[in-house]
Amino acid sequence: MWDKLPILRALATLTLFILLQGVSLFFVSQDSLFQRVKVAGVFMHIKSGIAEFTSDIKYYTGLKSINETLAAENIKLKNELERLNSIYSKVDSSYTMTPPSPSFSYIPAKIIANSTNKLHNYLIIDKGKKDGISRDMGVVSPNGVVGVISSVAENYSYVISFLNINQSVSAKIAPSQAFGPLVWEGRRPDYATLTEVPYHINFMIGDTVYTSGFSTLFPPDIPLGTVRKSTVIKGSHHQIQVKLFQDFSTLHFVNVVVNNNKPEIDQIKRQNEN
Amino acid sequence: MRIKSGNLLLFAAFLITQVILSSLIDIGPLLFISVYPLFLLTLPTNTTFNKMLLWAFFMGIVVDYFTNSILGLNSSAALTLVLFQSKIFKLVCRKGDLENQIRPGLRELGFVRFTTYIALSLAVHHISLSLVESFGLTSFIYNLPRVAVSLFANTILILVIEFGFFYKNRL
Repeated sequence: MWDKLPILRALATLTLFILLQGVSLFFVSQDSLFQRVKVAGVFMHIKSGIAEFTSDIKYYTGLKSINETLAAENIKLKNELERLNSIYSKVDSSYTMTPPSPSFSYIPAKIIANSTNKLHNYLIIDKGKKDGISRDMGVVSPNGVVGVISSVAENYSYVISFLNINQSVSAKIAPSQAFGPLVWEGRRPDYATLTEVPYHINFMIGDTVYTSGFSTLFPPDIPLGTVRKSTVIKGSHHQIQVKLFQDFSTLHFVNVVVNNNKPEIDQIKRQNEN
Repeated sequence: MRIKSGNLLLFAAFLITQVILSSLIDIGPLLFISVYPLFLLTLPTNTTFNKMLLWAFFMGIVVDYFTNSILGLNSSAALTLVLFQSKIFKLVCRKGDLENQIRPGLRELGFVRFTTYIALSLAVHHISLSLVESFGLTSFIYNLPRVAVSLFANTILILVIEFGFFYKNRL
């Protein structure tokens, strides 16, 4: 058999050599302290390398649940922040006699459908009526405004994306607090246009644009993007191109904004309209 | 696996020679004596590689045991020696040497080829020994004088033994 299979023979010989050499080196490492320390060092190196590799894999496979817990924790903190903010503004306003600012809370949601390549883009999120979501609630992410809830099912909600030519968000430029509607013009998903900023307002390229808070949909001071360039329209107002922070194509988690004072505000509006 | 009694006798003889010589000649750490490679190098050319490996391993282990060196040091070096032995032998042998089942000794190879064979093989053995001893390449440079001196001394010793015991009396 050996003569017919030279490869097998060579393998057996190689195995024998490695085995005997291994035994020798094992003896060496057992017999002498110097070699033992060196061998232990090598094994430690290999061991720690393997441990690091496996922990990296574990970390990567656990990222999903980590993401979810982080999102949940984020929401908890945001709710807490809003609660404290409203308490703070109430304390503050007891001297200035201005009404307390509307307090917002958030519901975390996961996007299950998202389009960015149409003129009327939309999203579907995995929270619905059951989770306390209703029509005309704002949807935000840490990088800016995502859209507005348009219709609600039991477990899902349909969101009209900000990337929709009919959608607009009230926005302001940071230093001057001048505000106007921020609209998407339907060309590039990472740019939007802020219009109706009066001509006399001074601002610079790179200034940050925030939500103004002049709506019941979105809380104020959510960063939206930075000023890229501007043109003056008819000598009366600026038309400002804004580079959005939000990258809609990589969006996965969003927060639905619940305005706790909305019924009150709506009621007051209705009374005055009538 | 059949072991020839002649080989066993030679094994014992080389072991005793090695032990006696390494206890007699002791001039400090610059020189280590190893004459047992002659036994491995002059095994008949038809000995299979596996048998050579086993001979080398056991020779090395008992030498280590009886000379109080680090156990496994010489066996590791001897295994490396056997690994390169056939390549070195092919360098020095003439056509037909391999088929004749000869003992590749001084008489069969001639002085120059035999000395080359021994010196090259011993160089492999000594370098491997020093690498295992220092367990890495870092102190290899410092071991070079030791390797060179031992190589020189051992080559001469082996040549003397080969000439004195094997040249005239064919086993």
